[in-house]
Amino acid sequence: MRIAFAGNPNSGKTTMYNALTGRNEKIGNWGGVTVGSKEFQIKKEYAGEQEVIAVDLPGAYSMSPFTPEEGITSEYVRTARPDAIVNIVDATNLSRSLFFTTQLLELGIPVVVALNKTDINEKEGTKIDAAKLSEKLKCPVFETVSIENKGLSEMIAKAISLAGTTQEAPYLQADINLHDKAAVDAEDRKRYSFVNGIVSGVETRKTLSAETTSTDKLDAVLTNPIAGIFVFALVMWGVFWVSQTWLGPLVADWLVGWIETFQGWVAGQLENSPAILSALLADGIVGGVGAVVGFLPLVMVMYFLIALLEDCGYMARVSAVMDPIFKRVGLSGKSVIPVVIGTGCGIPAIMACRTIRDERERRATTMLTTFIPCGAKIPVIALFAGAFFNGAGWVSTLSYFLGLVLIFLGALLIKAITGYKYRKSFFIMELPKWKAPSLKFAFRSMMERAKAYIIKAATIILVCNTAVQVMQTFNWNFQVVEEGAEDTSILASIATPFAVLLIPLGFGVWQLAAAAITGFIAKENVVGTLAVVFALTSFIDTDELAMTGGANTVAATMGLTSVTALAYLFFNLYTPPCFAAIGAMNSEMKSKGWLWGAIGLQLGTGYTIAFLVNQVGTLITEGHFAAGFIPGLIAVLCMVAALVFIGKRVRAHFDEQYELHKATTKEAKATA
Amino acid sequence: MKLAYAMNKGSTDAAPAEASYAASAGSRTLMDAEPGQTYIIREINTDDDEMNSFLFRLGCYQGEPITLISKKKKSCIVVIKDGRYNLDKMLSEAIII
Repeated sequence: MRIAFAGNPNSGKTTMYNALTGRNEKIGNWGGVTVGSKEFQIKKEYAGEQEVIAVDLPGAYSMSPFTPEEGITSEYVRTARPDAIVNIVDATNLSRSLFFTTQLLELGIPVVVALNKTDINEKEGTKIDAAKLSEKLKCPVFETVSIENKGLSEMIAKAISLAGTTQEAPYLQADINLHDKAAVDAEDRKRYSFVNGIVSGVETRKTLSAETTSTDKLDAVLTNPIAGIFVFALVMWGVFWVSQTWLGPLVADWLVGWIETFQGWVAGQLENSPAILSALLADGIVGGVGAVVGFLPLVMVMYFLIALLEDCGYMARVSAVMDPIFKRVGLSGKSVIPVVIGTGCGIPAIMACRTIRDERERRATTMLTTFIPCGAKIPVIALFAGAFFNGAGWVSTLSYFLGLVLIFLGALLIKAITGYKYRKSFFIMELPKWKAPSLKFAFRSMMERAKAYIIKAATIILVCNTAVQVMQTFNWNFQVVEEGAEDTSILASIATPFAVLLIPLGFGVWQLAAAAITGFIAKENVVGTLAVVFALTSFIDTDELAMTGGANTVAATMGLTSVTALAYLFFNLYTPPCFAAIGAMNSEMKSKGWLWGAIGLQLGTGYTIAFLVNQVGTLITEGHFAAGFIPGLIAVLCMVAALVFIGKRVRAHFDEQYELHKATTKEAKATA
Repeated sequence: MKLAYAMNKGSTDAAPAEASYAASAGSRTLMDAEPGQTYIIREINTDDDEMNSFLFRLGCYQGEPITLISKKKKSCIVVIKDGRYNLDKMLSEAIII
């Protein structure tokens, strides 16, 4: 049996779905958090012995889709014919929600209305007569508070008992020609006046929605173009500072101690085994994976803080305040949400682009959102900040800031290449009511992330590290590489051709090239591979390294200066994301041209940024350009030439289409 | 609630209505509205059918009340039905009150 959860955006569908199924899907206090359908079995305590599948759908205002994710919902309830529908109605906005409800009631599938967020109504003194509403809608109505699991069991029991029956519609659309716009409009008006009639009969409000309240004053500040952007910058800086400079490293230091103890224990156990096995297990696997896991606290703290931001209602305000700026470069205010989500992981960020209505804006955002360093890149940033810049907080701030700048520049470039024609791009964003963020939900979101991170470390990263370790230990004749002949290893011979390309960027050695390549599988691999190829561990504990090595061992072993280290860091941050994120881009863009454009742009950006940092940096610090300036410059110029060529071709294609159009109209006129 | 609508309707129907008629194209949009006031929507001109019908589903259509909460150079916050929305300048100027 299948029960679909449908309702307006931000009415609390996913929160209810999570409560009923025990899942941990992403929730947030803005419209458009869920962008695809999800299904899972409802817990036995609610469904009994029957197998009942709950289907969570993206929010929709009506059966006629406006943005791509709304289309998923209307398509599902129309074609998949669930056995029952739970219509989640935001009780604080009954007058708007019931429009969709009356449409759902026409489908003939039994509907149960969950009057959600009734706790807010209680606080505001709004009363809804549920019994009367049920009578008028001809379907059961239950008052619920999904964040507190209130009213859910009665509601879902009723939905299960009604499954398979038919629904009588309180309002039926007249038989009209659906292609006749005027007739459809008139019908919709009739539907709305029917809804308004119901609302005035069941709802009494103490405070009118139109009254200005104290939160409106807060919103006025947060959406002010100067104060609002300042506050946003401050909030994001706070998130990064707490997670990457203060609390995160504090916990990480403690965790690294444990990992080292474990590594020592493993090495002790292997004392009598062959040296090769010990190197593989203790240094390669435990060391490499441990280096990655050591950064876990930074990622967890960040997820916790981002979840708090998403839960309180701030995201919609950020989107509103950033809209004018984003619009200027050819994106939309809604592009901010993927960017913020992208600080956690690029894949949900890319999927969140679905809420952007304009196709060009949507594809451009998909292409650019991964320039913001994701959670998997935090270990890379933290490693380089720790090893080369004495743990300076500015490295991480600069990384995020530069990511944002690249998004703006990239957007301008896309605007120029696609020959962006003036098109009306409207922006409307609902500002949800503020709510105190739930520590419980934030904690759950953090633990979910931690679980995913550890699973990734124990699978993909473990496999990659083992492969790297093996490939570095053996040469092509499967003999152990002798000391001093490391360049003959399998890994070295594969990575060396790539390393040559990286000479102009200042880090043309095979070890660093290998780490950058494994980074495409998962960005944490950069850290894991570096740990393996340079036989380094406890990256984060730089104090201890400084003590044992007399100087900064990590920095010395890698043979990078602070300039080339920064170039290498930026190269890894702004080249294409991991394969999984590229896959997500492919399915969202639905265009091979755009996908390859995206990959090309990201590769070019990473290369160019690293080239500039290395050459300019070396010029400043040493008074001359670094090695490979001329070949690097030629490579960058080739990229620019490619861009100009693509731009010209895209524009010529536009003109061609336009010409064709003119020709056919001329022909049409001639025949007429 | 009903009474408030009626009063607002009365006030917009009086003097400003004729003035905007005289100016025809230069009629008042949301951008000319006063914060804190409720107006009746006279027309929606986005030149985009899908956008018009999207606004319709939110309850933003001709004859319905709309309240301006605050206004800035490039955007404004309004109340439509019982929800608050941020609109950009282009959309605000397409809503004639």
